[in-house]
Formats: sequence, structure tokens, C-alpha cells
Amino acid sequence: MEWTKQIGRYVVVMLLQVLLFDQLQLWGACHPYIYILCLLMMPITLPHNVDMLIGALVGLVMDVFCNSLGVHTAACILVMFIRPYLIGALVNDKDRLNEQISLRSIGMEAILRYVVIMVIIHHLMVFALAAWSWSHIGFVLLETLVSSLVTILIIIGYNILKYR
Amino acid sequence: MQNLLKILLRYSNFLVFIALEVAAFLLIVFNNAYPRSSVLSTANDFVAWQNTLVSEVSGYLSLRSENEALAAENADLRNQISSISSEQTGEDIHFMPAKVVQMTTDELHNYLTINRGSNDGIRVGQGVRNAEGAVGIVRTVGRNYSVVLPLINTHTNLSCRFTKNDYIGTLQWDGKDSRFALLADVATHMVVNTGDTIVTSGLSPVFPEGIPVGIVENSILNEGDSYYTIRVRLNTNFKRLKYVEVVQNAAQDELEELENGMD
Repeated sequence: MEWTKQIGRYVVVMLLQVLLFDQLQLWGACHPYIYILCLLMMPITLPHNVDMLIGALVGLVMDVFCNSLGVHTAACILVMFIRPYLIGALVNDKDRLNEQISLRSIGMEAILRYVVIMVIIHHLMVFALAAWSWSHIGFVLLETLVSSLVTILIIIGYNILKYR
Repeated sequence: MQNLLKILLRYSNFLVFIALEVAAFLLIVFNNAYPRSSVLSTANDFVAWQNTLVSEVSGYLSLRSENEALAAENADLRNQISSISSEQTGEDIHFMPAKVVQMTTDELHNYLTINRGSNDGIRVGQGVRNAEGAVGIVRTVGRNYSVVLPLINTHTNLSCRFTKNDYIGTLQWDGKDSRFALLADVATHMVVNTGDTIVTSGLSPVFPEGIPVGIVENSILNEGDSYYTIRVRLNTNFKRLKYVEVVQNAAQDELEELENGMD
């Protein structure tokens, strides 16, 4: 039941990503990748290897929509690799980790730190790999800053609305 | 042996992580070099269908300006027909109309997807233009859709020439502004003025000669450089690209075969 919900949310979030957020080309440097909400909030109950494979799959699907084969895949695998270690460091009460990771299960301070760190790592990796050269480093950092801010606001906002 | 297995098991997560990342990086490298996968790109029928849907909806919201653009394009096409019929170049070139179903303009590697594919005779390496000027080069072909590498992609190189004296240069993009590109390889003994017209050179079979590309915005010559840094204002407005034409040169196969034979 839990996993049908997770997959349902993935479909809805992916539709929003592709139909809405990929179409916004507002400030030139703003490409929020809200789809990683699904990866970040997944419960940590599966084996770590399976988690990373799910990450690879989700990244690959996003790559197909962006003509950037491999870029999102690499970033999502990294996010899924770091995830259990970061959660282990941020959350003391290990019993709560059977649920999905949300504001309700780990608290405001932990979820804020978790989402900020993960989103910045993911976005930096995506934009750096897409640029594939050091000559655009300034633009890559600007893109990461602006887009991460929007993604973080959306993920935290979703948590506040749904899991307070 | 047993110890080795133990170590492998202990670090299996890390090994899986490394293996997956290596695979992802190989994908990136091969996609940068030869992006030929029509399934894993927006040339994929399903992905392009979704993009078509989005562009249909947004198309209704901009019907008026679209009509104006179409009228202008029609007029331009009529002019082209008359000029083509009057000159006897001996080249067999066909223009296939296509609609842009997806496009990015503010990334470093911009792409656009058009609603024509191998079923319509589109092939990798064909040029794409619109009424305003050159747009880009076909990079990946699916059955019904194709991905085009526009002039505003840092991977694109296009051979161009000055109309006033036929000097050749290479058009590249610096990733900053979709209205401007840079013209490289222009030696300093030539005089470059603001407002000089740049057109396609016709040196490759991608584009016939003389398709407008842009006009010189400014040129900088740093001391000690042997080449100009020339900023070109592109004719094509990529921000509102809707309809394009694919240039199909009947001699393209033969020319490419000859060029490959030279290597």
C-alpha cells in the first residue's frame, strides 16, 4: 500500500515537472528539478543497492525528457548513495525511519537540513555535468543557487501543507 | 579467497554505487559524442507526443502573433521561389516544413524537437532553417520526431562567410545570450565593420550557400591576437521559434561519402 502511494506521487510529480516546471524558462537560470522530492521522501526500508537502482531509473526517465542522457542518472545515484548516511547523521530516533521521510517523521530541523543538503548536491551535480566544462562555472553556480532555492521551497512547502 | 569475498560483500554498496556512476558517466560521454539514441531522447514518440500536447495548448494562446509570422513567412517563401527558379545552380534542394514541438533557449546545451522523423525522410546532419535564417543541424532522428542542435548550443559549429568579401569563419555559441553568437577564425588582415552580413558558406552539404545567419554587432581585436573576436546578432529569434524547414540536399550522401573517402 505504501509503495502504491509512492509510485502514485511519483507519477503526479513527474507530470508537474515535465508539463509545468520544464516549460518555465523565466529567469534564464531557473530550472527547478522538483522530481527528486519522490527520491528524498521515500522510506529507507529497501536495501541500499535497490535504492540506488531506483535512483538510476528515476534519473534515466528524467534524462529522456531533457535530452541529457546520463546527467540526471548520475546525480540521482549519488543522492541515493548519500541518503542513508545523511539520515543516520541527522536523525537519532531510528524507530521512526520505517515511515517515509517527512516533516512528521523526522521534525522540522532535520528535514530542513536534509532537503537543503540533498537538493544542492543534486542540482550542482546536474548543472555541472550538463555544462561538462570548467569555463561555465559561474553560470553553473548561479543556476544551482536559484534553482535549488525554488526546489527547496517547494519540497518544504509540500511537507508543511501535507505532513505538519 | 574467502577474505576477498568478505571484503567484497562488506563494501558491496560502495561497489554498486561506483559501477552505477561509471555507467552513468559513460552514457554522458557517449551522448555528448554521438547522441544517436532516438528512444532515450525527445525524439521518442511518447515524449514528443507529450511535448506536442503542450505546444498545442500554448499554440492557441498565441494564435495572433503566429498568424502574423506565418504571413511573413509565406511572403518570404514566395520571394525565394521566384529567386530559385531564376537561377540555375544545378543543386537539388528540397525544403521540408516542420513544427517545433519543444525547445530550450536558456541552457548551455539547448535542443529543439521537430515533428518530422525518418518517416518523412529526415536524416542526421541535415540543416534546419526558418524564414529568418539558419536554425541548426539535425542531431538525432526518431520515426516521427527529430532532435535539432540549434546555433545556440555550445556544441554547434557552423561554417559561415561574409557576404561582402567571401571570407570564411566558424560560428560558435558562448552559452550566454540566445540573441548573439561568436564568429571565430577570422584573420586580422580583414576589415570587420559593424553591420556586416554573415551567411552560410555552402562549404558543407548541411546548408546551401547564402542562408542568412546574422549581422556583426561588434568586433574586438586584442593586442597579440591573430584572430578577431566577433559578436554576431543572430537573425533567428530562438525565443519564439514555431515553424522551421529542414534542408534536404539530394547530393548530401554523395558529398559526405567523398569527404569520408579523403580521410
